[in-house]
Amino acid sequence: MGSKTRCVARLLWIGLSWGVAVLSAADLPPTVPPPKPFQSAMPVVRVLPNGLKLAVIERHELPIIGVRLVVQSGAEADPASLPGTAQMVASLLNQGTTKRSAQEIARTIDQIGGMVETGADWDNSFVAVSVLTDRTELAFEMVSDMVIHPSFAPAEIERQRKQALSALSVAHDDPAYIADAAFDRLTFDGTAYGHPPDGTEEAVRRLTSSNIREFYARNYRPDNSILALVGDIRADEAYQLAARFFAEWKQDDPPPTRQPSTIDSSRTGTAHHSKGRRIVVIDKPDSVQTEIRVGNRGIPRGSSDYLALTVANQILGGPATNRLYKALRTEHGLTYSASSELDCYQTNGSWEGKTSTRSIETMKSLRLVLDQMNRLRDHAISQGELQTAQSYLTGHMALEVESPDSIVTQTLNLMVYNLPLDYWNLFPRELRTLQTEEVLNATRRYMDPERNVIVLVGNASAFSRELKKLGEVRVIPIERLDLGSPDLERPVAVNP
Amino acid sequence: MLVSWVCSRSLNKSANCSLCYNFCFGLPLNMRRSQDSGKLAKPGKTVTRFASLLIGLCLLCGHPANASVKLPHCAIRNIVLTNGLRVVMLEDHTAPVAGVQVWYHVGSKNELPGKTGFAHLFEHLMFDGTTNLGAEQFSDYIVRSGGIDNAYTTEDTTVFWETVPSNNLPVALWLEADRMRNLQINEQVFKTEREVVKEERRLRFDNQPYGSVVETLYRSAFQVHPYQHQTIGSMEDLERARVADIQEFYDRYYVPSNATLVMVGDFDTQDAERLAKKYFGGLPSGGSQEDRKIPQEPPQTAPRILRLVQKVALPAVVEGYHMPADGTPDAYPVRLAAKILSEGDSSRIYHRLVYEKQIALDAQSAGNFTEDPNLFFVLAILNAGHAPAEGEKEMEAEIERLKNELVPAEELDKAKNQILRDFIISRETVKTRGEELGYDSVVLKDVELVNTELARFLVVTPEDIQRVALKYFVRENVTIVEVLPEANQQSKPGK
Repeated sequence: MGSKTRCVARLLWIGLSWGVAVLSAADLPPTVPPPKPFQSAMPVVRVLPNGLKLAVIERHELPIIGVRLVVQSGAEADPASLPGTAQMVASLLNQGTTKRSAQEIARTIDQIGGMVETGADWDNSFVAVSVLTDRTELAFEMVSDMVIHPSFAPAEIERQRKQALSALSVAHDDPAYIADAAFDRLTFDGTAYGHPPDGTEEAVRRLTSSNIREFYARNYRPDNSILALVGDIRADEAYQLAARFFAEWKQDDPPPTRQPSTIDSSRTGTAHHSKGRRIVVIDKPDSVQTEIRVGNRGIPRGSSDYLALTVANQILGGPATNRLYKALRTEHGLTYSASSELDCYQTNGSWEGKTSTRSIETMKSLRLVLDQMNRLRDHAISQGELQTAQSYLTGHMALEVESPDSIVTQTLNLMVYNLPLDYWNLFPRELRTLQTEEVLNATRRYMDPERNVIVLVGNASAFSRELKKLGEVRVIPIERLDLGSPDLERPVAVNP
Repeated sequence: MLVSWVCSRSLNKSANCSLCYNFCFGLPLNMRRSQDSGKLAKPGKTVTRFASLLIGLCLLCGHPANASVKLPHCAIRNIVLTNGLRVVMLEDHTAPVAGVQVWYHVGSKNELPGKTGFAHLFEHLMFDGTTNLGAEQFSDYIVRSGGIDNAYTTEDTTVFWETVPSNNLPVALWLEADRMRNLQINEQVFKTEREVVKEERRLRFDNQPYGSVVETLYRSAFQVHPYQHQTIGSMEDLERARVADIQEFYDRYYVPSNATLVMVGDFDTQDAERLAKKYFGGLPSGGSQEDRKIPQEPPQTAPRILRLVQKVALPAVVEGYHMPADGTPDAYPVRLAAKILSEGDSSRIYHRLVYEKQIALDAQSAGNFTEDPNLFFVLAILNAGHAPAEGEKEMEAEIERLKNELVPAEELDKAKNQILRDFIISRETVKTRGEELGYDSVVLKDVELVNTELARFLVVTPEDIQRVALKYFVRENVTIVEVLPEANQQSKPGK
């Protein structure tokens, strides 16, 4: 539908709703004054002599403080043959240091009502402790102990290996997990993001103590890390404590060769085009629903197209009501959830639509997703849609400064992705100047329905024949699925 | 996304533990999938998923002891309008946002046999239009402001909520008042929404590993009380639901005399009160809500043991003990017992099964506390090669220890500190604070508990813990579901 037709339709719609209004003396929500002028909390950032960046955000409403150490390397830094290394390293940080055993760490934290968490994802690894304010010093001391002196004891490595293998085997029963992992595997093939961040069974079995120590030595360095402090603490006190507990963190070798920031095609504005559409079905005959993923490679977080694609994604399938949701759920009752995700990492990204539907409606749902993607690529969004997206994204900033956790996450995102700390204060103005053509142009650069990746996890017999009309289809029986392999399939001869 | 620090356990351990996921008590059924709520930068998937589960658990189990840290006092304004609508207000200018929640005191325990799932289906319909607004327009107004909205249904309540930039408080109130009074649903919309709910059931239960375990356990543990069925309802009953059922349900339950309006956030209390009266004051009351006969469950007299053979990778075992209703004196030692058993890596069950014996991927315990007596759960997902009976034996050993030995004072203090922390964390957003106020007001029937309930935990003694363990954690009171993988030998990870 051309934009002209839509305008007419829109006028008609307004006319109709007025008609109703007159007949039933309908009421409408009140108009309200403009929102309060918004200022995001600007953290003060300092750098210790060893290169560790500190960011403090004061929040004095509640007697709690979070100490979060973020290493700016995560699963993307996994050795190519050992996916899961970053997560294994992170999972071991609270499992013993040269000072404390795993049990002592757990007991100490639990006793004071604190919480400890470690983990790794794309572009970051972290260890975080939160405590009530009477234990502030202990939180600094424990985080520094865990990040500077992990012991990587053999018995703890074996424990975590066993846990990781069990977690993987449970995950492989979850159709949504499989769909996400398979989509990423195909979309990011050949990049640093082309493997499952939680590893593969084969790699997790093979990881050695020296693999773990090497990853740690290469990436866990003060000049590759950020210490974020949020909560009921004064900035000067936070700096003093940070200096006291983290000054001893040193590295001997020269500054790390940061992961080569592969300037891939998406950064320069040309979409990554694979040969053509890739359709993969992971056949799980006992499924009652099909998990559907459709998309292309996207952009790194630093791309100049980020803003335009954020708006496009908001309209296609972003939070709250959107085109996919309306088409699949509101109009057709085909799904509980339909959305799109724009995932942007340091050197790459993806843009995908996702939904799940009962097996017999798989093709109808998939076609509706593709229709909405084509529509977004072929026709400009309306001015009204742009305004709604702008007002949502701007208004929503107030909600992002509500909890200490949310504020610190926002801040760390800016720092990890090298964005200016006043980003959110400049954001509304930049958003306001965005034009519908810019959104359309950016969409055309990255969304390519003819050359996308389509992953379906479900009962293939319910839809695979019709699916072939969309292109060549590869069906992989679930028991043959191998997320470690570029073509997702285990050779037939190998024992399970 | 850079992970939140609210979780107590390292995420990659069991980030995809679907049993735990489904087990998220109260399993509040959300109107929408909790879409990533507008975070602009959001790498990372697995992590956030487990985070929300734990937050859910914290919320429902959560309530707070530590010598020097005090829980800040909440100055609540609590009034009842002439039509019976209770209005709870808490002014707080931490962030320029306002939270609005409308709690209807109706949930799946008010459903009759053959009509399961209706309370939740009805929750969905509340987004589908009024005499003033078309389907989904409710959310469109919220979205345009930058806010978010959703709803959930539990056994006891149906809760609608919005968080909006504070200038939009009047809009949220107008919208809630509109759908309390003017809901208008046609046959077509009804049928579409019913399909959506059926998809929700497939997504959360039927297509999930371990998805039917909790449902199976409840069906056996309760024989009379409507907690027997899950809030999502059965496919057959959903199919049977008719548009004609709507009006009756709406007229009976979606009325001011059965509702509580909660407002938390950046507003002046007097203004908020005036707005509440303006938009809700004119709605007709709906009359008495007295006459509700919920059949009470007779005491269980013998253990009930069920076995499920399923297409899952790992064996699992779930035990459910009947326990007291929330807010009753015994509820507090039971809640603390759950902390002692499984909160944090040093907790008893977790340490024994996961760390020391290494027989389980995860082990948890928690009470599903509700208005009427519900179940206390102890569960484990076992590592391959370990039978459910082995998990039961180890869990049982810890349960017996609670009965045979007094909990050391230091360990009880630990649990109390964790409770205090939960109380504090639940104050971090207008939504979670609103939930506490609403829950205390509607289910526990005393909104001041938000300030006073902590004291009920602090007075619990080691003897109290032993007493409740001896009283509730007994053999004749338990229902056990053992889950065995269909192809057991296939997924045995070698050493």
